[in-house]
Amino acid sequence: MIRRSFTAVVARNETWTGEVATEPYECAWAGEAIVFVRALETRGGLRAAKARVQISPDGIHWVDEGTVFPMPAKKGDLTFGRVRHFGGFFRLAAKVPPRASVKVLVTLALKE
Amino acid sequence: MDPATRAVLRADPRLSRFEPLSRIIYCDDFDEGYNGWLGLIGNYEGSLDSMLPGYAQYLQPMLSPVTMWDTGSHGSHDGTYCLKTATRARKGSQNVSLKRVTFRHPGPIQFEGYFCFKPEASDLQLSELDVRAVGVLFDLQDGEAGSRRVMPHIRYLNALDGTPMLRWQYKQAKAPFAKIGTSGKTVSHYHLAPEGWEDVPDGGQKLCYNEVPTKINWHYLKIGFDLRAMRFTALQCNDRSFDVSKMSPMVIPAMANLWCMLNLAVFVETDVDKRAFLFLDSVCLSGDF
Repeated sequence: MIRRSFTAVVARNETWTGEVATEPYECAWAGEAIVFVRALETRGGLRAAKARVQISPDGIHWVDEGTVFPMPAKKGDLTFGRVRHFGGFFRLAAKVPPRASVKVLVTLALKE
Repeated sequence: MDPATRAVLRADPRLSRFEPLSRIIYCDDFDEGYNGWLGLIGNYEGSLDSMLPGYAQYLQPMLSPVTMWDTGSHGSHDGTYCLKTATRARKGSQNVSLKRVTFRHPGPIQFEGYFCFKPEASDLQLSELDVRAVGVLFDLQDGEAGSRRVMPHIRYLNALDGTPMLRWQYKQAKAPFAKIGTSGKTVSHYHLAPEGWEDVPDGGQKLCYNEVPTKINWHYLKIGFDLRAMRFTALQCNDRSFDVSKMSPMVIPAMANLWCMLNLAVFVETDVDKRAFLFLDSVCLSGDF
């Protein structure tokens, strides 16, 4: 049996400012994930902007998993984080600096 | 159905809980994966910004063991996973999951499935009026000799602005078409707009919500439709069958690239600033051909 996989866009064409997070994604079946962030548009300085993976026991209460990676700093840039062993619920949180914004496409590539 | 066919269906536990027509088009158990179910996306051209606002909110479904904060995983009707469609935490937010195929015979078809719905259990309250509605729709178009795109919509309206409604509804009212982009090839219409729903005759029904927001009970739903007459043939939920003879689907002119389309979609809408979830354990789509 080949390993099953599924790719879910968890934020599409959303403009992020300040503290922000994707909608929760329930994916207990998956053993590994790569989460990609692509900038569709940017405004202001984004060099300090970071994304971080969060996990949850219930989809309601969230805690940082430890994976942190840069947000894309200019239009067209693509960044990613690679995660294993994340339990049942996954989301990506980010902190965008004041006076900056980024319109994102966040894609979660899951595999058994 | 002849006795031999019935006996074969009854011998298989995965099929014996359904009453399929003579040919199974697909029978999807979400323990085996997504089976081609995915999130609806609106039409766009040139930029995602051109999508109608109602469609921009939709996201992918999930495979869920229905995990709750107070007990853990509830599990599905059988096995571990079901298909979870979730709204955002904003009053009136919707989400839609669907499967796209085409048909080979314009005759009777039938959807059957086991479903339940719940709000996100973020309050220690009953929350039984937090989910506004859940529903099923087909998106159909005649073969190329025909002229109709037909969209039968059925929903269970649970609550509206905090008032219990507890009734089945259908929708034949059309939404206006909007041009998308500049090529002249793309249009879009927001057929799940809140306006235009009508009550199914004698369509009131009380379902099994249970006593806290973390307990779920699976419900059986059947919707029959005839692809030649483009009429409803059945609506049943658990022990109630409803008269569909006076119900009409949404009918619009055929579109350029949708011949023989047979899309099946499920949807959920929240009545409060809290996520609403539609869980679908399994789906059997059958036809007479």
